Amino acid sequence: MRELLLDLVDAAARHADYADARHVATRRERLATRNGVLDDVLAEDSDGVGIRVRVGGAWGFAAVRGSGRAECEAALGRALAVARAQPAAAGGPLAPETPAEGAWSSPCERDPFDVPLDRKLATLLETDAAIRAGGGIAVAIAHFEGRRIVTTFASSEGAACVQSVTECGGGIAALAVDGEDSQIRSYPASHGGQVDQAGYEGFMRLRLADHAPRIAEEAAALLKAPACPAGRMTLILAGEQLGLQIHESIGHAVELDRVLGREISYAGGSYAGPDAVGSLRIGSPLVNVTADASTPGALGTFRWDDEGVEAQALPIVRGGVLAGFLSSRESAAEIGLGRSGGCARASGFDRQPLVRMTNVNLDPGDAGSLDDLIAATGEGLLIESNRSWSIDDRRLHFQFGGEAAWEIRGGERGRLLRNPSYSGLTPQFWGSCDAVCSAPAWGVTSLIDCGKGEPGQFVRVSHGSAPARFQDVEVGVA
Amino acid sequence: MSRWALPDLPGLAERALGHTHGRNAIASVVRERSLLMRFAAGRPTQATAIDDVTVEVAVASDGRVGRAATNDTSDDGLRACARSAAAAAGALAVPGSFPGFGPVGEAPAHAGHDPATAALDPADGGRALAAAFEVAGAEGTEAHGGWTAAEEERAVASSEGGIASDRTTDAFMKVICIAPGGRSGYAGRASVAAGGLDPAALARRAAGKATLAGEPAAIGPGERTVVFEASAVGTLLDLLGGAAFDGLAHTEGRGALAGRIGHRVAAPGVNLSESPRFAATLQRGIDPEGTAKVPVPLIQDGVAAGVVHDLRSAAASGAASTGNALAPGGDPEGPRPTNMVLIGGGAAGEDELCEGVERGVYVTRLWYANLVRQRESLVTAVTRDGTFLIEDGRVTRPANDLRLTDSVLGILARTAALGARQELVSEAEYYGRRFATATACPPLRARGVRFTA
Repeated sequence: MRELLLDLVDAAARHADYADARHVATRRERLATRNGVLDDVLAEDSDGVGIRVRVGGAWGFAAVRGSGRAECEAALGRALAVARAQPAAAGGPLAPETPAEGAWSSPCERDPFDVPLDRKLATLLETDAAIRAGGGIAVAIAHFEGRRIVTTFASSEGAACVQSVTECGGGIAALAVDGEDSQIRSYPASHGGQVDQAGYEGFMRLRLADHAPRIAEEAAALLKAPACPAGRMTLILAGEQLGLQIHESIGHAVELDRVLGREISYAGGSYAGPDAVGSLRIGSPLVNVTADASTPGALGTFRWDDEGVEAQALPIVRGGVLAGFLSSRESAAEIGLGRSGGCARASGFDRQPLVRMTNVNLDPGDAGSLDDLIAATGEGLLIESNRSWSIDDRRLHFQFGGEAAWEIRGGERGRLLRNPSYSGLTPQFWGSCDAVCSAPAWGVTSLIDCGKGEPGQFVRVSHGSAPARFQDVEVGVA
Repeated sequence: MSRWALPDLPGLAERALGHTHGRNAIASVVRERSLLMRFAAGRPTQATAIDDVTVEVAVASDGRVGRAATNDTSDDGLRACARSAAAAAGALAVPGSFPGFGPVGEAPAHAGHDPATAALDPADGGRALAAAFEVAGAEGTEAHGGWTAAEEERAVASSEGGIASDRTTDAFMKVICIAPGGRSGYAGRASVAAGGLDPAALARRAAGKATLAGEPAAIGPGERTVVFEASAVGTLLDLLGGAAFDGLAHTEGRGALAGRIGHRVAAPGVNLSESPRFAATLQRGIDPEGTAKVPVPLIQDGVAAGVVHDLRSAAASGAASTGNALAPGGDPEGPRPTNMVLIGGGAAGEDELCEGVERGVYVTRLWYANLVRQRESLVTAVTRDGTFLIEDGRVTRPANDLRLTDSVLGILARTAALGARQELVSEAEYYGRRFATATACPPLRARGVRFTA
């Protein structure tokens, strides 16, 4: 494969200023039960080559399945034709990078594809039964996900590397319905559950069946729970919901292609300008955010990005002030950075790399555990899992809904509340952050469907965080 | 057979099916050839050409369905794919509720394929970009957007007999023009034929919005009379498609029309249907289960009329599949409408819809629209790229963008007038294997639309 890709980029270099080629082989298994029967049992595999060329200032990219030499050469021809067909544009340099060389694999103790299908399904059915055991649940879902991606990369600058990533995880959901309402609870998270760079051990450590009774009880209880009140109050975010808050209001906003206006047509722009580093305050002094492509087990971890740039840990917010961007080689050069941030990622062989998040993490603070934080909060709300999300095209005004909230009263976790929601403006919201829990409370949540790009790409990311508290937040908006 | 000698798709489906060895099974094959060019600030940014095929085999056994997919069309690849599907269907001994795959009939004829578009000439895209750049520049704006065209070929073979094939093309272009002051305007259009797009006209429309003079009005939260352009209407209907017309959700009691079929859910002038061969849509003949797509009334004269089904949801509800499967054996998310048509009304256009509005909001486009609560069809979204104040019956000046949080069925219930002319609108979000859908709908005016910020 290495030789084929090197031949392709050598051939491309005769016609283009720059070229790279990626062969990506993907294997995925997705399993789900629904109310005690198999609901989704899908095995997928695909492989192909994507070739990217830069002619003048125009990029051309063509993808073809498999790795046949003739087909790949034809794809190279299409990439060049597409690049040349576009209106002429001046192109700047790419940020320099030492050509990548070598191989890397993510940790995997037990290959999820070696575990017998019957065993995985039996675990899901056991969990499914546990969700329904107490009654009152209309739909019970338990799901498993395993994926392996092997990427071989070569560039016209001499890069040649290969990396293999194995991911595994799952989740559960319980849906309760009455005539007027339906309520759902999920564990560990609502968007695809929790998936890590891990082998089968990543799925087993979720211990889904242990959490099934609680999730079911909460879903049923939500039907009768009081509605989340409306007004301004103290809000504690944890787990998935805090991860999504980081993702939508900070992670996407610091993607340099958005900052430079290159994504206006789809993903949108940003509240941050290209010269805002060091001056734009987007949070309180307690807010420190790092984009770390080396966080163990996280889905945004790799050795090289899809431009062959080595993984880095980038300061994004320091003391509440913008400290850096997520960048690719092209975008980094455009604002004069000496090196790409290593954030160019593609969802597969048939998509070209875009500026994407790695693991955009909120650094831990010193507020102790979640229980400590609740105890230190007189009155407020706690939201952990997400039900709906929306943010404007500059990543300023957001509105989130949770599956459930817990009332905090007198420093204790109180009643369950249904239909919680909150909204705000990014700088004010993060500016109101007055507590972040300590390192032992820090954990990673995953998002397996971060969408961006045209044609669309779902890229997987993770966010590390410890529960955090925000003051004077507008809640009960939906 | 060589891996790279791509046969005709019906033949490939039959070869894949042959490896299921007489089991109740279906082989669904899709080939995508597509081209997409993006641009920003009046220059090209990314261009992607894709040529790929997905073979999906679904095997049914004792009410269970196992699925496997590959893009390896060699005999070894197809054999492995079929083996995986069979193993998945045979796993464990817990019976399921899937009714099994039936025979596949011939796909209904339609006019959803344009040979010129299928040629996928990059020069067509290049000319479209150049035309948009020229108009936008002449208007003193910078152009952002994208142009895309594709051919999708599908073939489905069933173990119970029959094979169906379908070929479609789709094209889409959108232009967002940004004026020097930062105001933006949007125009977009979907079509079966790339030749049906008018890049210069789109750029003119977008630039006109971006350059509308006047001090931007500050509109706060509250309930407003709104004129929605067709693009915004399409976004709302797309969300309603999942919230209300998904036959699986409906059967499980979580859909927005559960218990409401036969009841009034919208204004009497609202007529919405799934119309897969309506001339103005991206017409399709079959779904991935090989079921011929049929028209389905969804809301008739404001009364909830029906939902769409795949084989699984149809069996669960005692209905017949309407050809709305997203995957053979049923996607976990359930079936979806793919060709919604909202019938137009009596207003000549957006200007006439604004007449009679003393003070209201004109919305070009909704963005980051998501469902908040399915049973209520409650959604939230923000306005973007062309929000204006309506005063005394006409658009007078730009306005700030707003967050809408309202029930789609509620908006349709408060719909006072619809435009006569439909547009084919789409967000053209092609995640995974391309499956182009679009909604034909007119602009409309609704009162009491709730903005929360």
